Amino acid sequence: MSEASPRAEESAAPSGLRVPSFGASVADARRAPPSVILALVGPALFMYLAFTLYPVLRTFWNSVHTIKPHGVEEWVGLKNFAELLTQDPVFWIAVENTVIFTIVATVFDVLGGLLLALCLFVKVPLARFLRVVWFTPVLMSYVVVGVIWVWIFDFDWGTLNTLLRWLGLESLTQSWLGDPRWALWAVMTAHIWKWLGFNMIIFLAALYALPAEVLGAAELDNCGWLAKLVYIIIPMLRPTIVNLLVLSFIGKMMVFDLIWIMTGGGPLWSTETVSTYVYKRAFDWNTFDLGYPSAIAVVWCVIILLFVVLMNRLLRQRDRLEF
Amino acid sequence: MTNCRARVLTVALVLGIGAALAPTARAEDVTLQVWSHEADEPAKVAFREMAARAVEKAHPGVHVKITWYEKNPMYAALKTALPAGQGPDVFYLEPDQTDYITSGYLLPLDDLVKWDNIYDWARAVWIHDGKTWGVPQEAYTNEIYYNKDELKKLGVMLPANAQFGEADFLALIKKVRAEGITPVSQGVGDRPYPGAYIVGESLLHKLGLEDYGKLLKGQLSYKDPRVIAVLTWVKELVDAGAYPKNFMTLKLGESHYYFYQKPGALMFPVGSWFTGRAFVPVDKGGMPENFPLGLMLFPAIDNAACNECKTLGVGASFVVNAATKHKDIAAEFLNAMSTPEMGKRWIETIYLQTAIKTGDVQFTGPYAAYFTELLERQKGEKYFIGMPVDNLEGRCKDAFAQVMNAGFPGGLLTVDKAAAMMDEACLKKN
Repeated sequence: MSEASPRAEESAAPSGLRVPSFGASVADARRAPPSVILALVGPALFMYLAFTLYPVLRTFWNSVHTIKPHGVEEWVGLKNFAELLTQDPVFWIAVENTVIFTIVATVFDVLGGLLLALCLFVKVPLARFLRVVWFTPVLMSYVVVGVIWVWIFDFDWGTLNTLLRWLGLESLTQSWLGDPRWALWAVMTAHIWKWLGFNMIIFLAALYALPAEVLGAAELDNCGWLAKLVYIIIPMLRPTIVNLLVLSFIGKMMVFDLIWIMTGGGPLWSTETVSTYVYKRAFDWNTFDLGYPSAIAVVWCVIILLFVVLMNRLLRQRDRLEF
Repeated sequence: MTNCRARVLTVALVLGIGAALAPTARAEDVTLQVWSHEADEPAKVAFREMAARAVEKAHPGVHVKITWYEKNPMYAALKTALPAGQGPDVFYLEPDQTDYITSGYLLPLDDLVKWDNIYDWARAVWIHDGKTWGVPQEAYTNEIYYNKDELKKLGVMLPANAQFGEADFLALIKKVRAEGITPVSQGVGDRPYPGAYIVGESLLHKLGLEDYGKLLKGQLSYKDPRVIAVLTWVKELVDAGAYPKNFMTLKLGESHYYFYQKPGALMFPVGSWFTGRAFVPVDKGGMPENFPLGLMLFPAIDNAACNECKTLGVGASFVVNAATKHKDIAAEFLNAMSTPEMGKRWIETIYLQTAIKTGDVQFTGPYAAYFTELLERQKGEKYFIGMPVDNLEGRCKDAFAQVMNAGFPGGLLTVDKAAAMMDEACLKKN
């Protein structure tokens, strides 16, 4: 094989016409003219600008205005933010609910996904079947999941209370979605049930990607399974764990669909999240003014960004693993 | 050159034939876009489609296209379409949605609609700043439907005036619950008002028309002794097990089924638009044909100002988009739905009161007895126009939905806590 550069291997062609031959780097983007790059990137860039960037910028714009009748926009500066942070008790209830939901559900999601993945990794009986069963909820829409769990939690004919009655535990039956003490945990259960399978698959892929020789060496050193898990597997899975924690965190900070379908933010605001509150202020209150709900969205966006940066810094791996 | 000329002629010929065959739009072809709620009520769909066809027949070239929605998704769609300068020519709206008026999205209808066909009291709910902004179609009263046979089995007689007193109503609730039957079918899973039927009508009875209006406008405190007395009595009903255990999640449609199908309940407080879901075939969720349906009045409250008072709501109405290019055709559609003949049809097929003047109506068919009884229950009644949610807005409306509609009748709040929460959200500070 010639060690000549790809350019030297170009087949003979009429002068001025460069025809790359087999083995040349035809996919070198540095060679493509700007018009080609724009033509290929353009559609996706347009979609991003039109449906992501513009709405975000528009939300920031609306947050410092009040939309008056006939579409007149009145500059109000930080008035919406001041009112939100000092005079809106429902906002703070929503923040509290969202934070609790996010922290608890994220921990259970990620830990639970790791546990399920480990079960499949060690090839428990019926592993193939369980992998399908555990992943199926991920494929369901929030509407379907919400409807299923509303049925499960129904006081009179729901599966959970029926099971408790059958076991002779009638005293433990509750109005799971109708009692402020339980409603948030009930919705959280449904949410965790839906997403466990996703984390499981990611962890499973990461487990199979672990270097076999490292695990083999640990076994040769008579390392028990628990020690192997704690001192070798989990440290090597750290990037995956961090990524899933961040993704799960972001997703749960913006939770809307499931709450809306199952409880609508009730009872007595016990499942009200920031997202459901933004929706209500924008569409349920008798007003066309999007200024205030936009202010809520901006504040929450900034909080999420700050938390993500903080999480990345705290959980960032400082030492490179050597093996 | 000859070849070129031949090609040009051929192309011209083909284009000419194509143009001749293509359908030509007439100058008067107009499509009137209408968005409406009530997608799941076949009788109302038929009613509106009939009006649409009447307009099309009277105006060749005009097409009326009705898009059917559920209510909340329709409102969300309107709130994004109208500010964008889009949206339908005509759309369904209810009188509490005054933000559409204040935001300039509606056309005043004073000179466009034949108001002689509409009752003045119904038109009045749509008058703001001296102009009329919507055409009311539907009127309804709040009623308590009940199972006649179940009441008879309990050995309880409905009073001659069809109205129990406070003590008798509470005793009835306890007796029914002791039999293992749910006394009141009600659910707040998907609506912001059903849980407040009993407490709302009781407050209306106790306070009378004027003071009840003040309460809703935030000019009277929920800690007023009369209000506390009513809330205390309603709390007794709640504690006696008046409502189903799945009250917080039961949806409106499900509460209908709960009442007249499974598991069954004695009473069902609801607007008289109950018929839209009940008087349909059983396989579509309707009431069995032989169901022993009765009507009673909301209980009489002790030392009340007006036990003959009742809430009269104006519901389904239609408005015209201020940006419409077809205001005359839009007005034609509204007028087509508002003739005396259509009003009569509304009553005879939907079995619901209407804002349209109909004159004398002779009822026939399987539900004639029901409507006769409904009109009987209206005799001597005085009306408060508008449900609480029609009279509230913003934070007060949200608090009402959470507290008076859900938390308090759901047994989650004490009387004092409920009163404090409502005052905090609604009472106007002078």
